[in-house]
Amino acid sequence: MNEKLNKEILSKASISKKVDHGTEPLVLVEMIQRLKVRDVMTTTLATVERAAPLSDVQALMKAKQISGVPVEEGGRFLGLVTINDIIRALEGGYIDETCQKHMSTKLVVLEDDMPLSFALRYFEKYHFGRFPVINREQKLVGIICQRDINRALLLELTNELNRLESESSHYKVPEGPFNLYVLREFPVSKFDFENAGKAANKVKQLLKEKKFPAKIIRRIAVAAYELEINLCVHSDGGSLSWQLSNGRAEIIAHDSGPGIADVEWALKDGNSTASEWIRSFGFGAGMGLVNVKRVSDEFEIESTVGLGTRVKAVIYINPDAKR
Amino acid sequence: MTILEVAKKLKAEVLVEGDAVADAIGYVVASDLMSDVLLVDEDEILLLTSLASDQVLRTGHIVGAVGVIVINGKSLPSSMVKVARDLGMTLVKCDKSQYQACIAVSEALKSA
Repeated sequence: MNEKLNKEILSKASISKKVDHGTEPLVLVEMIQRLKVRDVMTTTLATVERAAPLSDVQALMKAKQISGVPVEEGGRFLGLVTINDIIRALEGGYIDETCQKHMSTKLVVLEDDMPLSFALRYFEKYHFGRFPVINREQKLVGIICQRDINRALLLELTNELNRLESESSHYKVPEGPFNLYVLREFPVSKFDFENAGKAANKVKQLLKEKKFPAKIIRRIAVAAYELEINLCVHSDGGSLSWQLSNGRAEIIAHDSGPGIADVEWALKDGNSTASEWIRSFGFGAGMGLVNVKRVSDEFEIESTVGLGTRVKAVIYINPDAKR
Repeated sequence: MTILEVAKKLKAEVLVEGDAVADAIGYVVASDLMSDVLLVDEDEILLLTSLASDQVLRTGHIVGAVGVIVINGKSLPSSMVKVARDLGMTLVKCDKSQYQACIAVSEALKSA
């Protein structure tokens, strides 16, 4: 693909997606903004009192398979004993001493009404395994760890998928080829004559199955085939994408080089840079782009030497499809 | 006249019978340049070529050809039969030269 265009697309994509980290899919970004810490945290807490020995915490961790136990008394959150505190106690031989003496009291806590995105930032910043969660009254109401987040996101994603499936089953696509929506993309490799043309053949087969008018099928198939062969013959590799929507067929060929030095010259009948070897396959007569233009209702080409070429051909399936 | 009838007149070997094997031939194109074939706007094309490659069949499929006759006694790569079957294209192999084949096809069509 044209690198300049590629960068533009990437930058547009990253702008639209960027909320915090910029790489998550939009649906996930929306989810981590919408969900609160209270929706994700564990609320059934295993806690100990400050006078409890560390060995009690060790037993509790083993029984509950947890790695951090809050120390609480009279509803007041006092500190946290982590698995690292227990390891240190075992190594130091003071496992029977009280939690009060060894618990962590300089704690970073989260509030229950913070968005989940905030919690994720904290995990990234502090590298802690868990965070105690307090409410506005400063009372301990839960604890949150990465596992809780993973579970909650999986659940939310499942719900989202179910919702989308339910929506799509209620939506009936109007019948007839003009209303068909299709989007496909095929990679095309340089000089891969074994596979060149397969994409266009698939395009044609689909259009035939959907009973499009024969003349329209021919024009779309010819444009797709010529562009696919062009990618194979002239480019360093690229892709052919085609889209049917709103009564239009859009075929886009883009590649990553070498680019066309003189586009006007390339659009004239019979002008070609193809070698004899390529001509031996029956191509390279310099008619490809000319033919694409001939069968298309709209034709665009942009090319930069060293970056690549992008060709767009549009064929109106529905006469009202002109934009 | 169908491609099967033409094949019989040419004493050619039918390797694959495709979807349009019973369709009447509407136009004949004899070319080794697929770029030229793609420029033809006629329907029910019979394609005569001395190129023995998968691309001949793919091109024929794109322009809605009733079938492809590979002339000059060219030996066909085995992939051609598979591609012809996949695309539903009739594939015929003929020993005549392009000139002889064109004359024979022309006479066959006139007599039909």
